[in-house]
Order: sequence, then structure tokens, then C-alpha cells
Amino acid sequence: MDTFVNLTLNGLATGMMIFLVASGLSLIFGLMGVLNFAHGSIFMAGAYSGVWAYSKTQSFTLALLAGMAVGIVVGYLAELTTVRRVYGKPVAQVLITTGLMLVLNEVLKAVFGPNIIAVSVPPLLAGSWDLGGIIIVKYRIFTIIVGLVVAVAGHFILTRTRIGMIVRAGVQNQEMVQVLAINIRRTFSLVFVSGAALAALGGIMMAPALGAVNPNMGLENQMLAFIVVVIGGMGSFVGSALGGILVGLAGAYTAWVFPEASLAVNVILMAIVLLLKPNGLFGMGGGRNA
Amino acid sequence: MILSLAAVETFIGQFHILQDINLEVPEGGVTVILGRNGAGKTTTLRTIMGLTPPSRGSITYRGKSIKGLPPYAIARKGIGFIPEDQGIFTDLTVEENLLLSTRKKDDETKSRWHMVMDIFPDLKEKLKQKSGGLSGGQKQMLAIARTLLNDNQLLLIDEPSKGLAPIVVARLADVIRELKKHTTVVLVEQNFALALAVGERYIIIDDGSTVKSGVMSELGKNKELQRRYLGITAPSHGGKVV
Amino acid sequence: MPDVSLPTRMHKIRGLLSLPRSSRTVPILLLLILVAVPLITPSRSMLNLLTEIFIMGIFAMSYDILLGYTGIVSFGHALFFGTGAYMTGLIFARTGPKLGYLFLAIGGGILLVTVMALIIGYLSLRLKDVYYAMITLAFAELFFIIAEKWRSVTNGADGFSFNVPAVLQDRVVYYYVSLVLLALIVVFLRRFIESPTGKVLQAIRENEKRAEFLGYDVLKFKLISNVIAGVVASFAGVAWALQQRFVSTGVMTVDKTIDALLMTTIGGTGTLYGALLGSGITGMAKNWLSELAKVHPIFERWYIIFGLLYIGIVLFFPGGILGTLMRIRSTKNKPSVTISAGD
Repeated sequence: MDTFVNLTLNGLATGMMIFLVASGLSLIFGLMGVLNFAHGSIFMAGAYSGVWAYSKTQSFTLALLAGMAVGIVVGYLAELTTVRRVYGKPVAQVLITTGLMLVLNEVLKAVFGPNIIAVSVPPLLAGSWDLGGIIIVKYRIFTIIVGLVVAVAGHFILTRTRIGMIVRAGVQNQEMVQVLAINIRRTFSLVFVSGAALAALGGIMMAPALGAVNPNMGLENQMLAFIVVVIGGMGSFVGSALGGILVGLAGAYTAWVFPEASLAVNVILMAIVLLLKPNGLFGMGGGRNA
Repeated sequence: MILSLAAVETFIGQFHILQDINLEVPEGGVTVILGRNGAGKTTTLRTIMGLTPPSRGSITYRGKSIKGLPPYAIARKGIGFIPEDQGIFTDLTVEENLLLSTRKKDDETKSRWHMVMDIFPDLKEKLKQKSGGLSGGQKQMLAIARTLLNDNQLLLIDEPSKGLAPIVVARLADVIRELKKHTTVVLVEQNFALALAVGERYIIIDDGSTVKSGVMSELGKNKELQRRYLGITAPSHGGKVV
Repeated sequence: MPDVSLPTRMHKIRGLLSLPRSSRTVPILLLLILVAVPLITPSRSMLNLLTEIFIMGIFAMSYDILLGYTGIVSFGHALFFGTGAYMTGLIFARTGPKLGYLFLAIGGGILLVTVMALIIGYLSLRLKDVYYAMITLAFAELFFIIAEKWRSVTNGADGFSFNVPAVLQDRVVYYYVSLVLLALIVVFLRRFIESPTGKVLQAIRENEKRAEFLGYDVLKFKLISNVIAGVVASFAGVAWALQQRFVSTGVMTVDKTIDALLMTTIGGTGTLYGALLGSGITGMAKNWLSELAKVHPIFERWYIIFGLLYIGIVLFFPGGILGTLMRIRSTKNKPSVTISAGD
């Protein structure tokens, strides 16, 4: 029983972590339809600059802010210089953002060096509580809380604010949003930058959990994020959160029974969802080739 | 003239859809654009709105060129557009669809909101419902209601009667007459009876060019013209409906 | 006057419709030069570099079938390349350096790659094109991880070396073998894209909806493209393994796929020869820049330059180098065409 509770807690925390990484992608890909292959690079830019800020200031709050600021700047520049030119052209989007990924990854290596940098959990969040056999790692609880905040805030903004309304309307019919005198390009820029900020946030949150940052973490996590968005369904922020938890739990339980398969289980999970429900579990129907 | 198009040409991909569109829309009343399927009526409206920008010619609204502006900037000048499929955001509620259309939060918008609720009582009952669940007629009413929420002075409507039952078309005719009080209307319509009932002036487009324009009541009498450009052979059966 | 000009005009039209003669002379001329290279230079490193360029050129051409002729972006193409390479490596390492086993490796590769391409394609090609990119990446990563973890067989990232049949060990012989393979695959792929199936693929790339309306089973054709591209990529993998006599998980990495993407885009998509040109440029540049890296470490980050070049090409020269050159030439020829039409 203890094992089960521990595994479930681990799975939830991992799931929330994956959701944090996926939330930005869920916005950019799920709502704008732009598959941002530089997502993992922005995630990594957040992680590296957060780690750098933490090593300089010893403040995790400052590290979070610094990482997100870098994410916002990188996202804004990427949108301004390239992504904006290819809205509505899916293949060109993939090609362009791949180029951004290559450049960003190399710039990061040039700035921070190509080696693995060790990261420790900030003292306040380090350690764990032992409740009669159930081990509760503090950082995991912190992750779950941050994940919940992002999920709730994102859901609130999308469903209860004017900008959220515009975004949801834009997912359905961009042309008509323009006809209602709304500059959708500007909304899209804002969404893209928000997605980049969330990607960077995911990066800084992930760094202490992994114990290190390395130049390969970008693509690995981007893939995981994509799997979660596919499982959750296009255009559904809550779907991505549930998708993240599903992947987290599946990974945790499989790791217990058959450790070698825990990595494969995500891909298999995605394959099953795609076979049975190509639009994802909570999707609005944007996935299938119309 | 509130709107003038001169020698407008529009390409969609490699297709030369609009070849020579010239039209003048005076302030007030309803101007109906008529023509066969595929003549270029919808593209004309979309070109005015900036959705399929013209490659040549001039488009002026109240004497100022709007050619080349993005659609949202054209909309901000006070031009509303209802596409053939109504352009309702079906994943959003009725209320959200209406709210998206409001641009300010002033008293005028509030009074417009009340006016819309008075004109469309059935929408008022369904404010919190997903608009995807509305009937075809209700969707059309919602689309019209959206344009009434701000001070649009020119309204482009593409085939509002398409797919609607005769009784709903009759209601639509009433609503269009109501619209006339607030704004100038340019209407693309295949239902000739409806066009005749609500329109003051007509413009005929054939093969991407404007070929004829004049007063609606005269077109109603000119059977030869109807046959030639509109393919109407017998008096329209829908005459009684409106 | 009209009756005089009619035959000449017909002749001119026919001339315009048939392929320009240079489209065949240039490749043949190039082939002759490449045949002569070992006779001119004894440099082993030069031959090795060219052999590498040929093999990566085959890989890039197979990628062009997807990107240039079907309009889909794969991030898992290295999976097929890697399958060919591992098939070859494992069979030779476990048996002996006999030529017969090579055919076993090729045959096994074709079989395995076909099955994988069908499964992955079926899962991803029913969805919007962007899904294909991520799903192929996911599967490639899955197999990459399997190769990493299954150390008893693959020895993971450290890899393993093996002996190849004696005849293929000679660098000059192998240079010619890979050149012949390259030429055969150019001919095969050109036939494929000019076949009815290839034409349908290009129709799908131009306008998927229209192809569907015309009654073509779009999924089926995309699957065919996926299988052909996969099988050719596995040939490149086999050839690569034979040249390196060593296989590690490096053959399965995303970087390999991205290399193919860069080569195809820089050289020019949808032309096949563009992919070859891209392979040549990338191979030469890599070689040159890694020399420079000894001078200054900043050149280790040469991917920045490549990435920027690539972004510039995607944004401003979507036809790549070859496509842009061809466009310049066709606009240069235009005035003479209008004059001839006018007389």
C-alpha cells in the first residue's frame, strides 16, 4: 500500500512536471496550430539561465524570474524575426522552428559550455517528510503546486477573459476574428511569447528535479511535451494537464514493474490514443486531417 | 457614396476571379448583388473586407482608400461582414460570440446590447449556451446581432437565406428591414423574392465583372434581364413568403 | 506569314515542353569527373570524404522524397538509416566477413524498414502533416533508447566494430561501389518520381484536397512514399556501416535526420540533385570547419552558421541553392521566349 501511494505521488509530481513543460507547447501548438520545434530550446534556455541566476544569487525566486525573462525575450525575438512570417504554413513552421532550435542550442552551448552542469534543489525545498513509510519529497509537492497554479490560471485566462475568448475563437476561425475588428496577429504574438515563458518556467522547474542541466534535455522534453499534448488533445489546456498526469502515472507504475520499459510506455500510450482517438482524449477535433 | 469599387481585380491562387468590378453604394438602404453561382459575388464581398485583397483597382469607403488594409483595420472603420457560413464560433457561448464583437464598454454599447436583446428575444434566452447548438436560423440571427453591437455603418451580408426554412426567411426579411434603420446594407442573395422584397438597388455580377446596375423595382419587371443573368425563367415561387 | 510560322512555333512549343538537354548532361558530366577522381588524386582522405558525401547524398535524396515530393517533414528518418547500419553491423559481427551476408543485411533491412514505415506511417499520416514530424521523432527516439539500453547486443553509445568482406576494404574499390550505388539510386528515384505514383504524390503535395476529390487514396500514396524513402535510407545506412566498419547509436540520433533535412533544404527540395548538392556542401563545409576548429574553438559551434544559413534559405529562397539557380536561369531565358511568341 505504501508503495502504491509513493508511486502515485511520484507519478503525479512527474505528471505535473511534464505538464509544466507541455503547457507552453499546448498553447502554441494546441491553440495556434504552430508546431514549435524550438520549444525544447526555449525550455533549455530557461533552465540554463535559471541555473546561472541561481548560482549567482542563491535565490530560487530570482532564478525563476530570470529564466522566464529569458524565455520571453527569446520567444519575442523568434516570433518577430521568423515565426510571424510563416503563420498558416505548417510545413514552413516546422522547418523554420527547427532552424531556430539548431541556432539556439548552439548559442546555449557557446554561452554556457557543452557540458553537464549540476544543480541542487534550493534548501527550503530540499529534503522530505516521512509519514509512516510514505515518503513525501518536498520538491515534488512544490512541483504539484506550481503545476496546479499554472493549470488553473491558464484555464481561467482562456475561459474567463477577453483575450482567452479571442484565442479560443481564433482556434476555430482566424478570419472571422479579424472581421470582428480584432488584430489576431497581435494576439498570436502574445500567445507565442506566453508559451515561450511557460516553456522556460518548465525548464527551471525541471533542472533541480533532474539534478543537472545538459544540452540534450531540450529535445527529450519537447518530445514528451508533444506526446502529452497529443494525448490530451489539441486546443485543450486542461486536457494537457490530464495528459501529463496520465503519462506521469503510467511511467511511475511501469518503472516499478518493469523499469526498462518506462520510457517506451509514453510512446506506446501515444500510439494507442492515436489509433483509438486521433483527436486526443479531450481535443476539439483539430488533429485529424480535415 | 459610402462605398465605391473601380476596376477591381482579384486573384485566388492563379485564378483570376474578379476581373473588372465597378460599383457604387449610396448611403442608406439595401443594395443587392445578384448573379449566377460562381460569378464572383462572395469574392467581391471578401475583397472589400480585405480577406482576399485585390491586385488592382481602387476601393474607397467614405472617400478614403481601404485597399490593402488588413481585415481588422477595415472592420474598425465601421464595416461589418457576415459570411455565407455565418462565421459563428460554435465552441463559444452565444454571449461570448456577442461579447467578442463589442469594442468598447461605454453606455452606447450597453444600449446597443439592450436593443439587440429586444430584437432577438430567443438569443437572450440562450446566452449561456454553446452557439454550436443553435438552429440555422438562430445562428444567422446571432451573426446579425453581432454586427449590431457596434456602430457599423456598412454591412456586407453573404446569402443569409441559404438553407433557411421559408418561415425563417420571412423573419430574416423583417430583420433586414430593421437593419436599414441603423446601417447601409450590401446583400448577396440568390433568393430573388427576398432580394426584391428588401432591396432598393441591384448590381449584377457575371464572370467576375459588374454588368448591370439599377433600381430593384425595375429589375423586378425586366424578365429578359432576369433570364439572362440570373437564370430565372418563371416568376419566383417564393414571392408570397416575404 | 501565319502558315510559315506555325510549324516553327510548334517546334518551339515542343522544345519548351521537353526537358532541357542540360538536365541530363550535367549529371553525366559530373559522374565522369567523379569516376576519374581516384585516377587523379591518391589522397585517401579525399576519397573517404567523397564516399561519405555519396552515402549521405543517398540518405538526403531519400529524405527529399518525403520533404520535396510528398511535402511532409520527418524527424525520425535516422531510424531507417540506423536500421540498415545495425543490420549490417550485427550480421557481420556475428557471422563473418563474407559477401553473401551482405545480401542478408540488405534484405533484412528492406523487410524490417518496410514494416516499421508502414506502422509509423499508418499512425501519423492520417493526421495533419505536422503530427508526422513529432510522431516520427517519438518512434525514432524509442528505437534510439532501445539501442542505447540493449547493450548486450549493441554496446550502446560506445558501439562495436566489425570486419567487412576483404574486397570492400579497399578504399578505391569502395569509392566506386558507393558511386555506383549512388548512380543506381538516382536512376531509381528519378524513375519513381516520374512514374504515375510519383506524379500523384506531387499532386498531393500541391493540393491534398484536390487529389482526394480526384479519388486518390491519399494515405496509401503517402505510405508508399514513406516506405520508398525508408528503404532507400536503409541502403544508405548499410553503405555507411560498410565504410565505417563500426556502428554505434550515433546512426540513430535526431542529428542524423536533421543533417538530411539541412542538406535537402540548403541544396534545394523537390529536385533530388539538390539533396546531393546539399550533401556535398555540408560534407565539405564540415570537413573544412573542423579543420578551422583546431585554429579557434569558436568554429566548433559551426552549426550556428549552418542554422542561420538554413533559416535564411527557408525564409527567402524556398527553392534552396539549386531551385534558386534554376529560377534565375528560367527568368533569364524568358525574354527570348516572349520574343519568339510575338513574331
